[in-house]
Amino acid sequence: MTAPIAAPPAIAARAVDATKVYGKGDTEVRALDGVTVDFPAHAFTAIMGPSGSGKSTLMQCVAGLDTLTSGQVFIGDAELSSLSEKQLTLLRRDKIGFVFQAFNLVPTLTAEENITLPMDLAGRKPDKEWLDQVVRTVGLADRLHHRPSELSGGQQQRVAVARALASRPEIIFGDEPTGNLDSRAGAEILSFLRDAVKQMGQTVVMVTHDPTAASYADHVLFLADGKIVDRMDEPTADAVLDRIKQFGR
Amino acid sequence: MLHVTWKGLLAHKIRLATTAIAVLIGVAFMAGTLVLTATIGSTFDGLYADINAGTDVVVRGAQSVNAGFGDVRGPVPESVLATVQGVPGVRIAEGNVNGYAQYVGKDGKAVGNPNRGAPTLGFAWSDDQSLNPLRLATGTAPTKPDDVVVDKATADKEGFAVGDRVTILTQSGSEQFTVSGIARFGNVDSPLGATLAVFTTPTAQRVLGLPGQFSAVAAAADPGISQQELASRVQEVLPDGLEAVTGKDLTQEQQSQTRQIVGSFSTFLLVFAGVALFVGCFLIYNTFSIIVAQRSREMALLRAIGAARRQVLTSVLVEALITGFVASAVGVVVGMGVAVGLRSLLSAFGFGIPATGLTVEPSAVVVPILVGVLITVASAFFPARKASKVPPVAAMRSVQIDESSRSITRMILGALILGLGILQLFIGLVSRPDNALLIVGGGVVFTFLGVAALGPVIARPVARVIGWPIARLRHMPGVIARDNAMRNPKRTASTAAALMIGVGLVAFILIFWSSATDSIRGVVNKGFVGDFVVQSNAGFDGGLPPSVATQIGALPEVATVAETRNVVAAVNGNGAFMLAVNPQSFGSLADLQVKEGTLDALAENGTIAVYDQTAKDKGWVVGDTVPVTFPVSGPQQLKVVATFGEQNIGGTYLIGLPTAEANTAVQVDNSVYVKLAPGVSAEAGRKAIETVTDTYPNAQVQDKVEFADSIVGQVTSLLLFVIVLLLLAVVIALIGIANTLALSIFERTREIGLLRAVGMTRTQVRSAVRWESVIMALLGTALGLVIGLFFGWALIQALSDQGFDTFSVPIPLLVLVVLVAFGAGVLAAVFPARRASNLNVLDAISSE
Repeated sequence: MTAPIAAPPAIAARAVDATKVYGKGDTEVRALDGVTVDFPAHAFTAIMGPSGSGKSTLMQCVAGLDTLTSGQVFIGDAELSSLSEKQLTLLRRDKIGFVFQAFNLVPTLTAEENITLPMDLAGRKPDKEWLDQVVRTVGLADRLHHRPSELSGGQQQRVAVARALASRPEIIFGDEPTGNLDSRAGAEILSFLRDAVKQMGQTVVMVTHDPTAASYADHVLFLADGKIVDRMDEPTADAVLDRIKQFGR
Repeated sequence: MLHVTWKGLLAHKIRLATTAIAVLIGVAFMAGTLVLTATIGSTFDGLYADINAGTDVVVRGAQSVNAGFGDVRGPVPESVLATVQGVPGVRIAEGNVNGYAQYVGKDGKAVGNPNRGAPTLGFAWSDDQSLNPLRLATGTAPTKPDDVVVDKATADKEGFAVGDRVTILTQSGSEQFTVSGIARFGNVDSPLGATLAVFTTPTAQRVLGLPGQFSAVAAAADPGISQQELASRVQEVLPDGLEAVTGKDLTQEQQSQTRQIVGSFSTFLLVFAGVALFVGCFLIYNTFSIIVAQRSREMALLRAIGAARRQVLTSVLVEALITGFVASAVGVVVGMGVAVGLRSLLSAFGFGIPATGLTVEPSAVVVPILVGVLITVASAFFPARKASKVPPVAAMRSVQIDESSRSITRMILGALILGLGILQLFIGLVSRPDNALLIVGGGVVFTFLGVAALGPVIARPVARVIGWPIARLRHMPGVIARDNAMRNPKRTASTAAALMIGVGLVAFILIFWSSATDSIRGVVNKGFVGDFVVQSNAGFDGGLPPSVATQIGALPEVATVAETRNVVAAVNGNGAFMLAVNPQSFGSLADLQVKEGTLDALAENGTIAVYDQTAKDKGWVVGDTVPVTFPVSGPQQLKVVATFGEQNIGGTYLIGLPTAEANTAVQVDNSVYVKLAPGVSAEAGRKAIETVTDTYPNAQVQDKVEFADSIVGQVTSLLLFVIVLLLLAVVIALIGIANTLALSIFERTREIGLLRAVGMTRTQVRSAVRWESVIMALLGTALGLVIGLFFGWALIQALSDQGFDTFSVPIPLLVLVVLVAFGAGVLAAVFPARRASNLNVLDAISSE
């Protein structure tokens, strides 16, 4: 009998010495300044930081929406800078889910069509059972044939969450997903995301500036001036708030 | 506010550029037409002024008949020349002779084709420099009976040199002449590309069919005597039936007659400029609607900070005004190029217009600019009004793009306009009032406008149907394409409507062409009983000497021949074409469905046969007499000896050759119908006929099918020309599609960014834009085809009494139209699709 080997914690995404520079010379801005970070699988990670800290840039680069000036980003085993534009697109389509702050949905498509959009783009049939489960979880069963304009803001975000979950991506990125919602609707969305991690084993990385939102996460990364300055596990809203207050000083 | 307008113009210059192009194309074509026709007009003016420069008085037949192609007059007896020469104050007088003379080139083929191109003229040489516009370049004037002077253009083209023997076809047959000299016409090698053969006066009289006669007598006055004075002196001594006119009056008369012809040519071309501008209106309307929608927040802000409604309205209208003016001004400049291009096109067809400078009348600049500005402002009016209605509070709201489609008002209004259009069409086509063309034209415009107004209501369902297979085949990009085409039915409909007009007119022409050619073939098959037709390509007056018919008739392979000629005469005072036929044989070679009397009776001089319907309309029956005026013989009374039911072979009036010979001067045949003897094969028959026609290079031997083809061919080439001109409208519509797509994509930047973020590839984005474009193009095509079918059907019904008995839909051609529209849709999407697929994902999702 072999001794049980402790499996290393799986990594869903990783950035190594990630640097992103905008402009040149005097106007040079280092949005990311050599960030190295792992995003553990099956966990909910929040990225926090003041405006201009580079938190959105980090997310966009890791999610394959933007490219680094130098350094590397991995989604699973794939190193993004080696991928062509088309391969990046397919990676986003097949392995990544997105929930944006606003304008998450294609206005001409119904809720259901929006949910299955990435799979339809891939020409894949959605897994009916899984789809039903996702739709039930986010409570949209009776809204499937409505268009976005007929849904409330909270419902629209739920559709976006459902879309992110439906294709069973390796990782879901949220960019201020509750930024445009009232607190009740926001709490709902955050619960869905947390449940997706806890019950479905998803991986979620979310950018936010709201300490309450961050408190739903398993870990919080704090960014300032393009660098990771701190991290916190098992965060509470108060602890996060306290930490943030220090940035101003 | 003007400042805001100006900034708006600068900010939207690319979007407005497409509007400008639409205006520019229409205006350029319009200006080009006006400049070209003015140039042609003034060229002719100059030509006649040159020809008549030294002529003070002209004596000619007083009787003129005009059947729509200029006055036709009888000749002047030779004796009049001496009378005129005897009038005091006449310095010199000479007889003019002119008629048909066509060179045969060294390749044995007739030179020029007066059926389609410039005339081939023969006339008599005059030694007097004031009466003769020709100046010898080399050689000498004609002195011997077989001498000829050739115009320099023809001599250069055909390689004729002084001393050469050349063959010339005239009504007296084909003869050999010696080139004695080569002459220029004023300062050009040949007037308008005409070929000239100039003989001695006796030869001209003989070969041009005017023995003992002149076409006219021209006189120059002694110094100090006015044209007016000389004309009245000459008039006093003239016998009845002749008149003396001053050179100035003659010039003016000739100028005004060509101006009429040039005028109809101008109107014909202007119709297409009008179509282009009409289509342009849709594009302008669309662009301004979209710009206004996209700027509604800006408008609301202006209103919120205190701009009055009227100021917002004005600012948009001024934007349209400036755009329209700039585009029109550029259009006029481009129009000069169009005029030059059209002129070369005409030259390519054999109408050489001397490359003098273009004649640019002020109206050719002012009118197109006015029209261009007016339609731009008018088309932008409704969008501008909408802009002014944006409430100030909208500045605080997010932009809502109007996606309404079905208002009751719109449906009622659209139906009313459509109904009015259809009503006008039927009034114009069925009851045919004097201004029928105008009424029908108005009907066409209203029908298009009505369908365009109803467009938003039909766009959604039709786009759904067209998009269905695309969504099935192209999956998600197809679904997105279809949904995008349906999301703003107003915009989709007005974009498609522009294409609808072009496609509708092209489809109509194709259907008309198909029906006309089928009808023509039907008429030839039914009505033409013979085996062959020998046709002259020498124009309306014909060019087959009567000997052709005699010689063919004498062939053992031939059973019957029937020769025909064209005659111009006035019936009841109205100019008309008549066909003069061989009375003995014509009835057995053409089935005219004689109702009463017999065609044989035309053998008697002074008889006429009339189309049944015309006879009924005028209340004539067999045995009545009809007043007919011939240019040569003047007023006559012709007895109706037959009525017939088939109008499409010989026209409305038939006379016998004896009547024609007694009342006309020139005796040449236009066609000879041939029936072969029993048992003679078509091949043997053709060979035999060609032994005769070989000596007449202007004669074409055609069997029934070729005969029909030759008629069909004329219709085809004219309609082809029309279709080419209509393509202008189609091109503008395609620019419109590209424009709408580009503007829509600008509007959907975030949406496209989202799609790209969640995994839509660039190829898929391009595909979605492309298919959206195809759906719009096919929507316009579908509407156009329906309208085209309707127009075609209506016209054929209306013309059923004119021999159009077949309504034929050319399915393969219409399928081709659909395929072309499909391809055009793909083409229109190239630029917008590239733009959409190249959007930076990050910029797109983070914009605003």
